[in-house]
Amino acid sequence: MKELLNELLMEDKTFLKVPFGSGYLEIYKSVVMTWIVIAFLFILILFLTRGFTVHNISKRQAAVESFVLWIRGVTGGMLGEEAIRYADYIGTVLIFIAFSNMVGLFGFTPATMDLNVTIALSIMSIILVEAAGIKKRGVKNWLKGFAQPMAVIAPMNVLELVIRPLSLCMRLFGNILGATVIMELIKFVMPVFFPALFSLYFDIFDGAIQAYVFVFLTSLYIKEAVE
Amino acid sequence: MLEVSLLNIGLTILNLLILYFVAKKFLFGRVDAVLVQRREEVESATKAAETAEQEALNTKKEYEDKIAHVDEEKEQILADIKKQGYAEYERIVSEARKKGDQIIVEAKHNAEVENERAKEVYAAQLTDMVIDAASKIAATKHSAADDMELYEKFINEAGANNE
Repeated sequence: MKELLNELLMEDKTFLKVPFGSGYLEIYKSVVMTWIVIAFLFILILFLTRGFTVHNISKRQAAVESFVLWIRGVTGGMLGEEAIRYADYIGTVLIFIAFSNMVGLFGFTPATMDLNVTIALSIMSIILVEAAGIKKRGVKNWLKGFAQPMAVIAPMNVLELVIRPLSLCMRLFGNILGATVIMELIKFVMPVFFPALFSLYFDIFDGAIQAYVFVFLTSLYIKEAVE
Repeated sequence: MLEVSLLNIGLTILNLLILYFVAKKFLFGRVDAVLVQRREEVESATKAAETAEQEALNTKKEYEDKIAHVDEEKEQILADIKKQGYAEYERIVSEARKKGDQIIVEAKHNAEVENERAKEVYAAQLTDMVIDAASKIAATKHSAADDMELYEKFINEAGANNE
């Protein structure tokens, strides 16, 4: 069992070695996994949105339209009216994380199980949060915002710039890692029937929940920043 | 497993941005295009419907006005007809009166003419009788008695004729 965990957690993450200068650029499996997810989503989107019309829409178009409206409703509801313009980005991240979390269903290692990917996601989130704040209030007021409600807690507010993305990335990473580890253990202990059952929870439900939590918190921060 | 690689973080961010632009352009963009177009169509259809309704209301008003005027026109026409009828009546009555007068005048004239004629006939008969009497007197030998008798007879005859 320990060997299994070691294999899972300590494996060499390098997938590609690209010669660069005197050394190599090591591209991780997780990044390649995100390439696969993005390529899959790209093809899926191109296929689904092919030949849209205004009248006499196909079932496929109706499904895509209601899906887009639904996801806009979800993200827009979290963001509030003032930050509604970021709904599309949040929706995209939601789809991306959800798909990334669920590749475990197909036997791949989820990209979000790599810390680098979750760091990238949370860096994007905090940049978006602060950019939204700057755009809304202007640089001066945004800087002043750190000293509110009183100047004493300014260090705390500055710390939040690090804490928020850190918590976001660690939460996602830890959940997906935990789910994958548990799935591997279940597969090891009870190879028949049970993995499929538990996969329903750990891969599909937990994957979707974690994607939702990530975008929910990001949306909350953005909403707070533009208020 | 916890090693952090800036390269891979950068690549992931790049991937995310690529995915965002793909989703924005193809998924949200295409759906939005359809939705916007549909909304525009709905708006234009609503506008057209409103215009049509307004036109219908205008037409209705026009016809109501016309109908109101029709009553007035009817009254006018009836009044005109009545007036004409009275005029015609007057004309006919006056004509009839005129004709009646004329007939009376003509009748009077005819009666006079007839009277004249009757007088002429009577005068002619009288002349004949006188001539007759004169010739009788001339033809017979007569006495004073005879003359008296003749005279009586003549007077009687004339009286009988004249009655």
